Amino acid sequence: MASAQVVVRRLGWTLIWAGLLVFAFLAYQLFVTDLLNSRTQAAARADLEAELADRRLDLPVPAAVAVETTVAEVEPDETADPQEAQEPDPPLVTFLPEDPGEEGAAFGRIVIEAIEVDDVVFAGVSRDTLKKGPGHMVRTPVPGQPGNAVVSGHRTTYGRPFYALDELEHGDRIEIETALGTHVFAVRRTLVVAPTDVWVTDPIDGVWLTLTTCHPRFSAAERLIVQAELVAGPNLEYANLVGETEPLREEPT
Amino acid sequence: MRRIWEALPGPTPVKAFVATVGVIVALVVLVVLFEWAGDFLDSGGAIG
Repeated sequence: MASAQVVVRRLGWTLIWAGLLVFAFLAYQLFVTDLLNSRTQAAARADLEAELADRRLDLPVPAAVAVETTVAEVEPDETADPQEAQEPDPPLVTFLPEDPGEEGAAFGRIVIEAIEVDDVVFAGVSRDTLKKGPGHMVRTPVPGQPGNAVVSGHRTTYGRPFYALDELEHGDRIEIETALGTHVFAVRRTLVVAPTDVWVTDPIDGVWLTLTTCHPRFSAAERLIVQAELVAGPNLEYANLVGETEPLREEPT
Repeated sequence: MRRIWEALPGPTPVKAFVATVGVIVALVVLVVLFEWAGDFLDSGGAIG
C-alpha cells in the first residue's frame, strides 16, 4: 500500500514538472522571443536611416537598358520595300539597380497597412537572421528589382511579423523601402505549398515580391505564400515593359 | 529542493557556487531545447 502511495506521489510530481516545462516552453516561445525581437527591431529601426544612407552611396549607377518586348506577328506586306523594312529599335528605359546586402544586415523596411506590419527587413534567411525580423533570400533579387524577390518571416514567434499574412486580399498594398526608394506591390495571389516547394522562388517576368511564412499558425508543416506585383516605385516603367504576360505558375513543371 | 541542496558537496560557499553553475547550465540546456522544439511551431517561414 505504501509503495503504491510512493508511485502515485512520484507520478504526480512528474506530471507537475512536465506541466511546468510545457508552460515554460510556451512562455518562452510566445513572450520571450517577442521581447528579444522587439529589442532587435528597435535598435535596427534607430539605425535604419543611417544604414540606408550608407547603402545609397554604394548603389550601382542607373542605366538605360533596351527592353525586348513581345509583339504580335503580322503578315508581311508584299508591296513594301524590303530595304525600308527594318527591325524597330527596342525601347530604352531607365533601370535602377540595387545589390543585396551582407547576410544579417538591415537593408530596408516592410510596411503592410492591411495587417499592421511595420518591420525592418534583414538580408538573409538563416535562423539567426529571421529571429531579428523578416529576411530577404539573398539569391533572389532585392525587392524592386526585376524578377522575384523573396522575403520570409516568422508567423507566431520572434515578433510574429507575418502572423496575419493569410488575411491579405487581392490588391492589398505591400510597401518595401530600400536604399533606392519605396517600392509598392499589390497582392495578386495567395497559396499554400510544402516547405520544399522552391519553385515559388523561381524568377517571374516583371518585378515581383513573394512573402513566405509558416502555415498553419503554430505549425511549420506548410508554407503560406503571398505573391505581389510592383505597382509603384523607381523601376515601375521597366516593370511595365517586361511584366508578366502569362498566368503565374500553379505548380512545378 | 532541500534534499538537493544537502546533497551538494562541500561547505556552503562551495554549495552555492555549484548550485549557481548548475542553474546556469540547466537554463542553457532549456533554451537550446526550447529553440529546437520551437522550430516545430514556427521555423521562420523560409522555403527550401
